[in-house]
Amino acid sequence: MEYAVLPKSALGSFVDALRQYGKVIAPVAKSERHFAFEEVTDARDIALKYIPTILPPKKYFMPQYETLAEYDIREGQKLYPVVEVEHIVLFGVHTCDLAGIQCLDVVFSDRPKDLNYLVRRGYVTIIGLECNEYCDQYASCGLMGTFLPQGGYDLFFTDLGDYFFVHVGTQRGEDIVANFSLFQRAESRHFWDLQLLRAKKAEIFRPEVPVDRFLLPRMFQEGFEAKVWEDVGNRCLSCANCTNVCPTCYCFDVKDVMNLDLRTGKRIRVWDSCQNEPFAKIASGESFRAERSDRKRHRFNRKFSYPVKRYNRFFCTGCGRCSRVCMAKIDLKETIAQLARETGYLKV
Amino acid sequence: MMKAPKVAFFDFTCCEGCQLQVANLGELLLELLDSIDLVEFRETMSERWDGVYDVAIVEGSITTPHDVARIRKIRERSKTLIAYGSCATIGGVNGMKNAFDLEEIKRYVYGESAKFFETLPTKPVHEVVPVEYFVHGCPVYQPEFLEVLKCALLGIPYHVPDVAVCVECKFNENVCFYERGITCLGPITRAGCNSWCINNGNICYGCRGMVSNPNEKGFLEVLRQYGISLEFLLRRMDMYNACRILKGAGMVYEEKRAH
Repeated sequence: MEYAVLPKSALGSFVDALRQYGKVIAPVAKSERHFAFEEVTDARDIALKYIPTILPPKKYFMPQYETLAEYDIREGQKLYPVVEVEHIVLFGVHTCDLAGIQCLDVVFSDRPKDLNYLVRRGYVTIIGLECNEYCDQYASCGLMGTFLPQGGYDLFFTDLGDYFFVHVGTQRGEDIVANFSLFQRAESRHFWDLQLLRAKKAEIFRPEVPVDRFLLPRMFQEGFEAKVWEDVGNRCLSCANCTNVCPTCYCFDVKDVMNLDLRTGKRIRVWDSCQNEPFAKIASGESFRAERSDRKRHRFNRKFSYPVKRYNRFFCTGCGRCSRVCMAKIDLKETIAQLARETGYLKV
Repeated sequence: MMKAPKVAFFDFTCCEGCQLQVANLGELLLELLDSIDLVEFRETMSERWDGVYDVAIVEGSITTPHDVARIRKIRERSKTLIAYGSCATIGGVNGMKNAFDLEEIKRYVYGESAKFFETLPTKPVHEVVPVEYFVHGCPVYQPEFLEVLKCALLGIPYHVPDVAVCVECKFNENVCFYERGITCLGPITRAGCNSWCINNGNICYGCRGMVSNPNEKGFLEVLRQYGISLEFLLRRMDMYNACRILKGAGMVYEEKRAH
């Protein structure tokens, strides 16, 4: 059964049933406008209509603090690798965040393969959830083409009124559907409902900035010395909010943390950010990107230019988190528009 | 195993609340005591020690000639010195004194007895004697203190994070105070406290001191956008950071005061 439907009334018991696959994690409201992925035990706590969570689901794939190895200095340089895993089910992941997870998959599968990530990845079941309309004015999923599902899930839910239309993406997804009796076969009227929604979405979701997405890498290359970088650099506080909330920022630092016995300890990795002052500082005290403008430009190039060359993939998912969270109101769409104006890539 | 290092606590101008953080470590304290030989700590014991300290942990700022003489003596007797808590590392709340005329503020505090007290402008410990390690915070954050102490015992450097409190605050997925219309010093204050206050519903008061290179001009623009007056912010900053010489924003403030 590649497609199925689930009556909305069955969501509660479905979420209960999901717990046999692991801890169920879903978006919950932290305030009217703020959401976070957290463990849920009751489907009524799930925010089915939510704007992107403060942190993206990456915290479950590469936690803020993650143990990589343990050691005992009496054994010299010997390290014991550690992967801390648990089975989890991520429910309600929007298409932008599915794209983000796909980006992380690509990066951590690149050589040298990151075993901690890849092992943990296998323990995560992903159930996507379609956005029927824009979350808010910060999103740019129209420009990035991420408002429709493009894989990266075990199951994908679309809210079609009193039922969810469900696309089965993997064998694991198929098992979940087979093991829960309240799924029904998708019939032609269901497909028709879905098609109507998708047609409506195609009308709503348009490029938020009038530029050609496929020319963005070239635009960023040509705009390397553009004035916009100085502008955003002057405003940036280097708080690293934009990178911490980015679903595709994966930079980290590695530290050794000794236990109080001063003999045993663990090696951990911690999220790091190119926006932080010490990030590109080297032993001599020199920094490759001492200026905020250098760092801001680097962040944008790491989304729209460098990864396209290396992985043939944009690392901006259009989720809008960086703009939403910026105290200095450095807006991704405005920055792209300003760069496009300077470089002549803005469509008129 | 080698002999347990001799560790001692001292306090200068402070409330001794940071030392209370150690006394309150609970079971960790027992574990810690397996690794060190605690020789002086007046909050928890009455014994004294007259030998060399492997590690001296100093709370409080230096505010009198007597403080200067005493910290010099402690320094001479210590292999390693840790400045402990905001008063010791950045002057802390005691720095507020520096905004006043010394004689005037002395009379304000001690009245007619002022003549019996000698006083100096408040200084953090490292401005008087060399300091190897810093544990910022008011009070110190227990896990960071343990990290620093372990580094001191191992003789390896501890790097105080030179990034904004926002970094750890985001790790903890807190709702930003600015989005709730409340001013918070997180964006310009250095991390290391795991955004302790914000996790518990309070704003950041900047007790750890500022990041080494804050974008003061950019922050002024943020304040303007959020309708927060510079004076309000600087007053709030002065609570802990009065000892600090302000750059851009300070100049703007001074200009404003001059007019």
